[in-house]
Amino acid sequence: MTTPPLYIMLCSADRDKIQMAGMAASVGAVSDRKVHLFVSMGAIKAFKTGLPASDRYQPSPFSKELQSAGVPDPLELLKQGKMLGEMQVHACSMVIDVLGWEMESLEEGLFDGVMGLTKFLSDAEQGQLITL
Amino acid sequence: MSERKTIDARGSFCPGPLMELIAALKLVQIGDEIEILSTDKGTVNDVPEWVAKVGHEMGEITEKGDHWSVVVKKAK
Repeated sequence: MTTPPLYIMLCSADRDKIQMAGMAASVGAVSDRKVHLFVSMGAIKAFKTGLPASDRYQPSPFSKELQSAGVPDPLELLKQGKMLGEMQVHACSMVIDVLGWEMESLEEGLFDGVMGLTKFLSDAEQGQLITL
Repeated sequence: MSERKTIDARGSFCPGPLMELIAALKLVQIGDEIEILSTDKGTVNDVPEWVAKVGHEMGEITEKGDHWSVVVKKAK
């Protein structure tokens, strides 16, 4: 039986949630499972190109512990997942429009394009959807 | 002739050791083994689960004081 694709809707800029998105997406992708990550709302700000890691994520209940322990950076996990497995990452078209951003505004080497919510949710009917 | 390569992932947190193992497996030949050294407690469960899912072969899992040695053989 083929494993259904994993769809992750990431809306929060909290370090905790972006960390979990990076872990779930990368592990899913390297486990012979198609992963689709949709980045929307405040989460998109963590993916702005050129930000230092210290400014990228919002404080959250576990962010200090994650930072001090030196866990893998979530964006690096996503890049590893894309490199080693099958993962697509799309930015929500609405938040890109609201911010007046272009694809060039986003972290290089991570995004496959911009997508609308309707298309993402329609695609997600084929698999398992996680919202963070 | 098969070879064994050791990856020292001690100090790396989940899913770091697994990702390092997978990256290493991409670079070796079928039949070769990767030994991953890890202090991450999840490694001893996560790696066998991943190996069973994707179709490689598990080798020995050995506790070595403050870390584990987990051996995986590339099967495809």
